[in-house]
Amino acid sequence: MPRPVPAPDPLSKPFWDACAQGKLMVQKCTMCDRKQFPPEATCRNCGWAFNLTWIPTSGRGTIVGYSVTYDTRINAWVPDQPFNNAVIALEEDPAIKFHSNLPGVKVNEVPVGAKVEVYFLDLEDGIKLPEWKLVHH
Amino acid sequence: MAILLSFDIDGTLEVGDPPGGITMEMVRRAYEAGYLIASCSDRALSSQKAMWARYNIPAVFTASKHQLPNMRAAITADAYYHIGDRDTDEQIAAENGFGFWWNHEGVSEPWLTLQTPHGVQTPGGEDVSG
Amino acid sequence: MARETGWERSRDPVGIWEHRGKVALASRGHAPTDRRWDGVSMDKTLGAYTIIAANAAIEDAGIKPSDIDGIITSPGGQPGGAPIGDTWGPVRPYFAPPYNTEDGLTQVTGEWLARQMGLKNVRYFNSHGDTIWNLIGLAAQCVGDGRCNVALVTYPTGNLEGRYHRNPDTRVRGPAQWSSPWGWGLSGQGFTFEQYCRKYGSNHDRMAPFVVQEHKNGLLWPGSYYAQHEPQPFTTEDYLNGRWIAQNLSIFDCDRPVNTAAAYIVTTAERARDMRHKPVYILDHTESTFQPRSLVQDLDDTEAFCKVQAERSYAGSGLRPKDIDIFLPYDGFAVFTQYFIEAFRWRGVNKGEAHDLYAMDITPQGPNPLNTGGGNMGTGRMRTAFFSDPIEQIQGRAGARQAKKAEIAVTHGVLPGNAATIVMSSTPG
Ligand SMILES: [Mg+2]
Ligand SMILES: [Zn+2]
Repeated sequence: MPRPVPAPDPLSKPFWDACAQGKLMVQKCTMCDRKQFPPEATCRNCGWAFNLTWIPTSGRGTIVGYSVTYDTRINAWVPDQPFNNAVIALEEDPAIKFHSNLPGVKVNEVPVGAKVEVYFLDLEDGIKLPEWKLVHH
Repeated sequence: MAILLSFDIDGTLEVGDPPGGITMEMVRRAYEAGYLIASCSDRALSSQKAMWARYNIPAVFTASKHQLPNMRAAITADAYYHIGDRDTDEQIAAENGFGFWWNHEGVSEPWLTLQTPHGVQTPGGEDVSG
Repeated sequence: MARETGWERSRDPVGIWEHRGKVALASRGHAPTDRRWDGVSMDKTLGAYTIIAANAAIEDAGIKPSDIDGIITSPGGQPGGAPIGDTWGPVRPYFAPPYNTEDGLTQVTGEWLARQMGLKNVRYFNSHGDTIWNLIGLAAQCVGDGRCNVALVTYPTGNLEGRYHRNPDTRVRGPAQWSSPWGWGLSGQGFTFEQYCRKYGSNHDRMAPFVVQEHKNGLLWPGSYYAQHEPQPFTTEDYLNGRWIAQNLSIFDCDRPVNTAAAYIVTTAERARDMRHKPVYILDHTESTFQPRSLVQDLDDTEAFCKVQAERSYAGSGLRPKDIDIFLPYDGFAVFTQYFIEAFRWRGVNKGEAHDLYAMDITPQGPNPLNTGGGNMGTGRMRTAFFSDPIEQIQGRAGARQAKKAEIAVTHGVLPGNAATIVMSSTPG
């Protein structure tokens, strides 16, 4: 069963459109100089909408922790159990986090602290989903 | 000739929560016919043991859901089967080389037909021993 | 039902509560606790059980139904009064009145309850309620503010057939578009607790003494699902053999959903003194709601949120950690509890040290009475052991669970990012 596919809405469409072009974007409030992800209608700091823009990210990050899911409530994920649920902190602003299943990394072998970079998985409906892979030097 | 039957409890056995269709009488019949009886359930191990003690059926193993491999390693049998009501039951059975019946299939006691004059039908279908 | 927040004490500095010691919990009442409603037995619906609980609380207070002038309820037990489990409809047909809507089946509003119970003197209804901590805080504020004098507070927690909160979606909208594509769910709890264990050099097995003790306490509390239906002991071996749901969250860190209801009488201290049992004075209620900066609530967020709320509670009550005789921090999931203990610095426990406390004597009669009613682990997903037990403790009728000293009890729940704290006392302070 394929994984659940995001259905973009007006707020999230810029993000998914950027993903489709191979770019990972987050919101930024130019007044507060503050990044925001997931997107919200207003800046959570100043409460204004008009200074919110979309900016590209480095696409690089660090694994800050993980869980391994053995019994999910999401039906589409059941056949893939157990699977990794890693959390990625964005390199230029570690408060900004992303999810990753770290495809190819065995469960219980998630290297916390390791560097990762984004890539995109093709889903249905033309959606490209950000995923992360280990950076090997 | 040893055949192990591993029962899930909740949703599978009549004493489960929710109750399943397989009665303790069916389990007893299997036990008296010489099958090795075990349980593999999300119930606490002490609760599983208490259940078998209450029905006076000597189970050869009690396991949590992730411990089916331990059961397989600990108990020597010619064939292994798990009976359960959830996708995870089917999943763990497949991963550990257990044949699988759904709870609703179990009510017809399909295991009773396993012992043929020629031996045992294994989960893979081939006839072992003879 | 929209969520009301105007009554909350959630802005620092909160200051000492203006009604400190002037409002009291007078009694508690419980319905039987079942695993599920079977969809057939109309005498065991959530509505029927809420009526049983309400009558029990009225009886326990030694008052008459006509004394009730306010009903303050959380219709479904969750924030905004939403049902704690799945709804009955729209897939299943409703029944004849009064069961022709969700009201009475998976939610029970004060209006429904007053009609069924024939409560004629109710002049104040509030069915905006939240989880039990916020609900008791709301009731305390309403009584203190004079909206009603004798409030019936009800807290139903329902459970229907099947497994709830299954997610069959193949297309995901709203917040789910940021989590479901990666299968993120209860992994949130597992992730934060994994961070905790890694940071402080602890491990999941060190939870065992806590969860085992909660089960023991729960078997001694008559309201518990386990006391009523599965009275065999839960052992360390049982805990250690639990399977992962989402590592580091095991099946025995998750509370069993149940179908039950509880009720309380919250009234002025003055009225409470004339009721059957001695008043349990409410010294303070405080609330907080946080949102993590980004997609996940990590350990740093969790510790920061819990610290703000713990300090808010101490500021509101004027108490210090050593004043708390019995501490009742939420445990559903059990992996929450150490964050709360450490934030409140109860028994001097600092960050990363709660599992050391678990290894000490945490029995009700010992020096560290923790979740003396069994929490959710020992009772089921009913959440009301967090109030009924300390009420019984302070009133000196906790029986085999009675703590040696039960003058101040503090309970705290529900989530690290969305919490309320209630401070209860044997004296008005
Ligand atoms: Mg089952
Ligand atoms: Zn801003």
